[in-house]
Amino acid sequence: MAQEFWRWKEYNWKNENIDWKGGSIISSGVDVGSVSSQAVILVDGELYAYASMRTGSDSPLSAVNAMNWALDGSGMKLENINYVVGTGYGRVNVPFANKTITEIACHARGANLMYGGSVRTILDMGGQDCKAIRCDEKGKVANFLMNDKCAAGTGRGMEVFADLLSVPIEEIGGLSFDVAEEPEPVSSTCVVFAKTEATGLLREGWPKNKVIAAYCSAMAHRVVTLLDRIGVEKDFAITGGIAKNIGVVNRLQKELGVETLKSKYDSQIAGALGAALFAKALVEKERK
Amino acid sequence: MISQFREWEENRHTYAKSWKEKTGGKVIGYFCTYVPEEILYAADILPVRILGSHEPQDVTEPHIFGMFCPFCRDCLAQGLKGRYDYLDGVMISQSCLHIRQAYTSWVKHIPQSFSYYLPMPNNIQSKHAVPYLTAELKQFKTAVEKWIGREITNDDLKKGIDIMNENRSLMHKLYSFRKNEAPPVSGEEAMQVAMSQQMVDKREHTPLLKSLVTQFEGGAVNSVNKGIRLMILGSEDDDIPFIRMVESVGGTVVIDDHCVGTRYFWNNVNANGGDLIESIAKRYIERPACPSKDWIERNRIPHLLNLAKDFGAKGAIVIQQKFCDPHELDIPAIIKKFNENDIKTLFLEFDVTVPIGQFKIRVEAFLEMLQEEDLF
Repeated sequence: MAQEFWRWKEYNWKNENIDWKGGSIISSGVDVGSVSSQAVILVDGELYAYASMRTGSDSPLSAVNAMNWALDGSGMKLENINYVVGTGYGRVNVPFANKTITEIACHARGANLMYGGSVRTILDMGGQDCKAIRCDEKGKVANFLMNDKCAAGTGRGMEVFADLLSVPIEEIGGLSFDVAEEPEPVSSTCVVFAKTEATGLLREGWPKNKVIAAYCSAMAHRVVTLLDRIGVEKDFAITGGIAKNIGVVNRLQKELGVETLKSKYDSQIAGALGAALFAKALVEKERK
Repeated sequence: MISQFREWEENRHTYAKSWKEKTGGKVIGYFCTYVPEEILYAADILPVRILGSHEPQDVTEPHIFGMFCPFCRDCLAQGLKGRYDYLDGVMISQSCLHIRQAYTSWVKHIPQSFSYYLPMPNNIQSKHAVPYLTAELKQFKTAVEKWIGREITNDDLKKGIDIMNENRSLMHKLYSFRKNEAPPVSGEEAMQVAMSQQMVDKREHTPLLKSLVTQFEGGAVNSVNKGIRLMILGSEDDDIPFIRMVESVGGTVVIDDHCVGTRYFWNNVNANGGDLIESIAKRYIERPACPSKDWIERNRIPHLLNLAKDFGAKGAIVIQQKFCDPHELDIPAIIKKFNENDIKTLFLEFDVTVPIGQFKIRVEAFLEMLQEEDLF
């Protein structure tokens, strides 16, 4: 079988220093996105475990798989979790969720923990959409905007380019800087047209890295226009899978003239983490 | 309580055809709510508004530019598909070029015995607006008289004004119940009543509306609506599935500024003495304006803000038909003013069909923003 260059690594993680059995509130968030699904488990608000997987054609099954992988090896069972909040496009398809909350609220809440209370603007670059979110010091959404015309500037677009250029998706960001000079961006309004344009550039003899640079630049430019509409207030953070792509992030920072905050947490779990924090707050509310 | 209104709205063409059979009268289709229905009722003509069907279509491409609004294309499509084949005439009152193009193509390609372009002034703030429109309405009255073969008397005009005024006043009363803590009608139901108002003979619509208002005065409720209070405003909007979606996820639409809605019925003709045609002209000059006419001063914004406050809206969904230039120009100023007054806004761009899934997440996130629930 041919190599699938778009295929990003699925992973899970566990905090071995926490004994979940001693916890008072075990809360979880499950983010079933259009491309990836994450499950996060918190023990008294501390990150205990998470898993990130590709979303399949069956959303409920994707939620179950992500949760099972997060629980894997912990001895914890689903019934040990006090409260589960479902989020993401498939939020209504999380079979074991007690409540659903939109990924917009969850990303803001998650980013508040991941990057600290100074975050005022969040850019969530997800699988099939981009969201620019303004929030307060608690991580409550004050305003937001979403792209609404196409999937250019999203993870799915980057997957298409990884396949077209036969470059593993994790390597794209680094390679995009290996160019003699920064090229003009490719068309940024449609993934399919951008791909057509890139094919033309390859035929003209452009090296792969230059085409990658042109696409990363287009993606950065496209999200800057979204951010400009809502206004970027510092501090600024990026969540979602594209936050891991330095080819896009560095160009975005340069165009905006604003640095993004760094975090020890995985940017892809922001939505599920926010959902798990809401789940904890909901348990506390019930117990009052 | 509102099933008859819904039935009228959903079966608008069946209603108009049976009205024609029953009365033998003429039916005219109109494109814009600046059309003076008082004169049409005076002539015993049934005015019905031409609206779209929210279905994808492929018949208007040769007639209307791609960057004209989806509403005008949807309206013309109804004509080209023969759905308004019972009309005896069509007319428009000048508002914007997009809907005027729909009218022009209609007249050119769909046979009818009467068509009329009424040059409603756009500069309604000019001191010449009332005399200008009065003169235009007199010409229009003459054209209608020629078409129906009889004179429209002062008594006829009084009848037309009374029919319109009574119906508009009752709509006002109906809307006033939406100020209640739990409105007795949902936004979807109110929109169905408002839409049927533009399709049904007012003399049939009014008694039913009166009965609905009387029931509400007696404390009856048609539905329990305790969602987050929202205003909806912007371009022409008769998208019932959208309102239904908003109300299914925890919102309650309590007030609107749409031409299917308050802009259509908010003020009456004041016919106390004087020339009746002039009184009608004044009513159309002074009604809550479409943004195509709201200049040099922008008078809509204080009116919109008052509506939002009077009806206790916590947030406003601001919609624009794609490419609707007059609303697009107004919207940034409206959003700024609303936000300054602690009324949060959500902007959405409408097309012939709306992407319910994509809009749902935005609406849900907006409602979460407006909620007081303290989970932080």
